[in-house]
Amino acid sequence: MIGLTPERIAEELRGYSARLTEGVQTLSRIGEIEAGVSARDAVYREDKLTLYRYRPRAEKPHSVPLLIVYALVNRPYMMDIQEDRSMIRGLLESGVDVYLIDWGYPDAGDRKLTLGDYIHRYIRHCVDYLRERCQRDSINLLGVCQGGALSLCFSSLYPEKVRNLVTMVTPVDFHTPDNVLTHLIRHVNVDLMVDTFGNVPGAMLNFAFLSLSPFRLAGQKYVDLIDIIDDLNALKNFLRMEKWINDSPDQAGEAFRQFAKDFFQQNKLVKGEVVIGDRRVELRNLTMPVLNVYATQDHLVPPPASRALAALHGSPDYSELSFKGGHIGIYVSARAQREVPPAIAAWLLAH
Amino acid sequence: MTDPTDTPSAPPNPFDTEFLIKQARSYLAFGEQMSAFSSQLHGNLQDGEDWGAVLRRNFDQFKAATVGSAGDASAAPEQGQLWTQMLELWRQSTATLGPGAPAGGETDAWRAYRQVQNQYLDLLRRSASAALDLLEQQLQDRANAGKSIDSLRDLYNLWVDCNEKTYGQMLRGADYGELNGRLFNSLLQCYPKGETRP
Repeated sequence: MIGLTPERIAEELRGYSARLTEGVQTLSRIGEIEAGVSARDAVYREDKLTLYRYRPRAEKPHSVPLLIVYALVNRPYMMDIQEDRSMIRGLLESGVDVYLIDWGYPDAGDRKLTLGDYIHRYIRHCVDYLRERCQRDSINLLGVCQGGALSLCFSSLYPEKVRNLVTMVTPVDFHTPDNVLTHLIRHVNVDLMVDTFGNVPGAMLNFAFLSLSPFRLAGQKYVDLIDIIDDLNALKNFLRMEKWINDSPDQAGEAFRQFAKDFFQQNKLVKGEVVIGDRRVELRNLTMPVLNVYATQDHLVPPPASRALAALHGSPDYSELSFKGGHIGIYVSARAQREVPPAIAAWLLAH
Repeated sequence: MTDPTDTPSAPPNPFDTEFLIKQARSYLAFGEQMSAFSSQLHGNLQDGEDWGAVLRRNFDQFKAATVGSAGDASAAPEQGQLWTQMLELWRQSTATLGPGAPAGGETDAWRAYRQVQNQYLDLLRRSASAALDLLEQQLQDRANAGKSIDSLRDLYNLWVDCNEKTYGQMLRGADYGELNGRLFNSLLQCYPKGETRP
């Protein structure tokens, strides 16, 4: 502290202001930021859902397609955010034939959509479409975060349609002591929220995520932006992430109601009490090979929340892949590109 | 059906330069506060007083001035925002939900919400105050170890670390979970039921 004089502070603030002025001009010239870099084709549509096939990058892609089921919160281009940070590209280059469900943006007409609609209808229709397209009885499924929980439900209900299941940073036990999201929603009147808003505003979910680390995520991050303000590439990468963070679709009301109450508040998935439509989800029906991928520094889905699956599945072939990183880093960090897609692809190709 | 990179219905570029400028203003306000603090501190040190005693005395004054500004309508907005980042986020988020505040005078629901929001602000103020205690301790520890902080950014980063630490402890406490629930629930009571977002 002794070294920090008022003169030094004034000098730093002058430098900061000058760079800020320069940065604001750069930002105003930067144009539209694209996110999602790999070429893909829409192959199936239903309501607001679009099923994409990513164009293969291997000469002979694997004959069993991989269907990625992303979360309903945020947008799936996180998995393909830029040329050198794309889990999808990594899978394609390892020979996997990759398909992805884009849920779109629910609006007032989707308010009544239930988890039953998402699982029995949307996911099942996509899986059946791919089974028919690829002439396979079963396909590979990869669920991401909340999409992993939906994939667990689907695979438990339709095990014959899933050849291999990969879950990534997927919550299973929502009541581990370090689960901050559960802590935040535990006392929220979910019925009142859904009855009030219909669809749950994406801004509220964004608030919940930012509230976990507000001084870093809403303050320091923007102060630090000054350091890269004259590096156009770094700036564009920053803006891609910003776009993704702020691109939060509203949540279909009824589906949110059940997910928040049954999974977060009452932890029914581990108790075998989740009912989708009229069918109970039993995780011991997961008899296909399962690869459970988790991140050791995940602040949203702590490792114990994911690893709880180990005690609940019914598969003779269950394994885990641990990644040293966080909930987002597992998709976008440089090390993740080297470690995660090749490991998943190798596991899929071996099964 | 070729569709290489689109994200249907996505907002084009949701990054708001105004938000960057707002955060920058807060940082500049932090710098100004630290400048005043540093000036006072160095003035006292020149009188030959013990570093630890001077830091403690000046820090107490500094803490009272800064944390006290949170929620104080007469304080500069950047100053208040700096210490209550979370409340600012909450206000921004709720502003996107549409009008919840009654146009023609306060309702019971709105008054109840404002009351819970004040309790929330108190919790945040306690966390911000604890962060300054931690910052003071860390500065003392550094001084004792012969280390100094020579840049405003380093000091700011240390302040952020301290706030994240005390805020994180508060966030995980039972009080916060319960209050967070009440804050949401009381806000929801201010809206008409059955509204469906477009």
